[in-house]
Amino acid sequence: MKQTLPIMPEGTVAAPTAPFVSLDTLWIQLTGTWCNLECTHCLNASGPRDPWLKPLAPAVVRAAIAEAERLGVREIYFTGGEPFLHAEALPLIAESLGVAATTVLSNGTLITDVVADALADLAGRSRYSLEIRISLDDIDETLNDAIRGAGAWAGALEAVARLTARGLLPIVTATDVTATGVQGRYDQLHEFLLARGVPRPRVKLMPTFSLGRRAGGSAERLTEAGLEGFDRTSLQCTRARVVAEGGVYACPILAGLEGARLSTGSLEASFQPASLYHPACVTCHQTGMTCANG
Amino acid sequence: MSEPAREHRRIAVFGGVYSNAPALAAAIADARTRSVEAMYCLGDLGGFGPWPDRVFPLLRDAGVHVSRGNYDESIAAGLDDCGCGYTDPRDNHYARISYVYTYEHTAPEHRAWLGTLPAHQRLRLGPHRLLMCHGSPRRVNEFLWESTTPDGLLRRLLDDCAADVLLCTHTGIKWHRDLHGDGHVVNVGVLGRPENDGRTNVWYTLLSAEPDLRVEFVPVAYDHEAHARDIERVGLPAEFAETIRTGWWTTCLENLPSRERGRGRF
Repeated sequence: MKQTLPIMPEGTVAAPTAPFVSLDTLWIQLTGTWCNLECTHCLNASGPRDPWLKPLAPAVVRAAIAEAERLGVREIYFTGGEPFLHAEALPLIAESLGVAATTVLSNGTLITDVVADALADLAGRSRYSLEIRISLDDIDETLNDAIRGAGAWAGALEAVARLTARGLLPIVTATDVTATGVQGRYDQLHEFLLARGVPRPRVKLMPTFSLGRRAGGSAERLTEAGLEGFDRTSLQCTRARVVAEGGVYACPILAGLEGARLSTGSLEASFQPASLYHPACVTCHQTGMTCANG
Repeated sequence: MSEPAREHRRIAVFGGVYSNAPALAAAIADARTRSVEAMYCLGDLGGFGPWPDRVFPLLRDAGVHVSRGNYDESIAAGLDDCGCGYTDPRDNHYARISYVYTYEHTAPEHRAWLGTLPAHQRLRLGPHRLLMCHGSPRRVNEFLWESTTPDGLLRRLLDDCAADVLLCTHTGIKWHRDLHGDGHVVNVGVLGRPENDGRTNVWYTLLSAEPDLRVEFVPVAYDHEAHARDIERVGLPAEFAETIRTGWWTTCLENLPSRERGRGRF
């Protein structure tokens, strides 16, 4: 699978870079690209078989959390793949919550009553916020499952219900893959969740990227000339680092790609400019998006 | 790093005013009864409220030392938005209404004055080196919520800015973190709107050097009903008045972390 992803060929003209500003967010690619779903728009082509990016060993995660604390990290995010496939997900989330506010990006299908109970317990015992983001791409079950696979819609909404019942406030995350505009999309999801008994709906919208299973849609790259006058410190790669198999990367959605790798060792060694080499960088530049919660 | 110009032992610190002149007047009057040597304000003078220009003479007449917030930066420079950094379209809708109204109802001389305000203020409170900022020392619009601001980050911020005590506002909800020998960080709350707890009062903060640092959060009652009626009278959204009247936030909610959001009604 890895060879199908767009990686900057060697010898290509040097891409512009974004400076490193601060370690606001640490992303942990907990399960690599191992997922129980196989969505048609997945940013890193995750799936249930032979993940091209392997899950992280717990010791690697613990070391990253400890180093991030020492470096003054603000928030920690767990992603994948599907993080709850990892056998040590809950203890590692607990460890993270001892250090900083923690967010888990999930498709929700593995958030059983037992897992929801455990998450509520962790949230209640921590001084920092625990956020659970649940992916849902359409309020219509058929349309959603055409993208995310059979049972994904029901599983996501069951997770939302379980978390809501325990006083957690999940953030429903949708891409604009079926959207008709940001405001309409937001209002649609908001009303939908209210109607399903979620009293304080929280919605995050994400653009789609020419990446992963949607790679190849654009060959456009950022250039120095195109970035003239643009404040590069507004890009999330100036304030985020990602720990994944193989090292530390500049961007959550480029984790595992050689062009985005900044260190094969410590987090601190990755505190250097990030190459804006990928077509996905164009989307960040154009939309001002962040993978973080707000 | 130069030494702070001013030295005090007891001060009052106000957070965002959001054009809530009656609350500001009540807070100034209250602080005067509490033997403070000076009053400070950490910016965001406009927003949400009906009469932005009424805030300026209150601050000047009372000799309040003011630094600038993101709202003040935007109004002074005539930028397109308040710079609060919202990502949610509903939040941005209401933020836009508030910002356009505030800009149009802030006199040119007041806009110019906002442009002269410092980004930070330093002083010495007894033995403590204080740094005052709006959002954080590194970004004027960074939200330092209690539940998403870890000790490790606070230690780094204090170290980076060579301070023992860091004061901020911007989120709208007060908190105090004692880092047990490594310093203190205080979000002083805001005067502009209640803090999403179903109570209509607003808050400011007293700090004293005794010589250990003492932090007191002071509730301020004011004629919130009259303020809510004025918001409605000038045609600002009913949601703004509802917040003043009920103590529950109705807008600018999506940036709230789950812990703080869970305490509110909406």
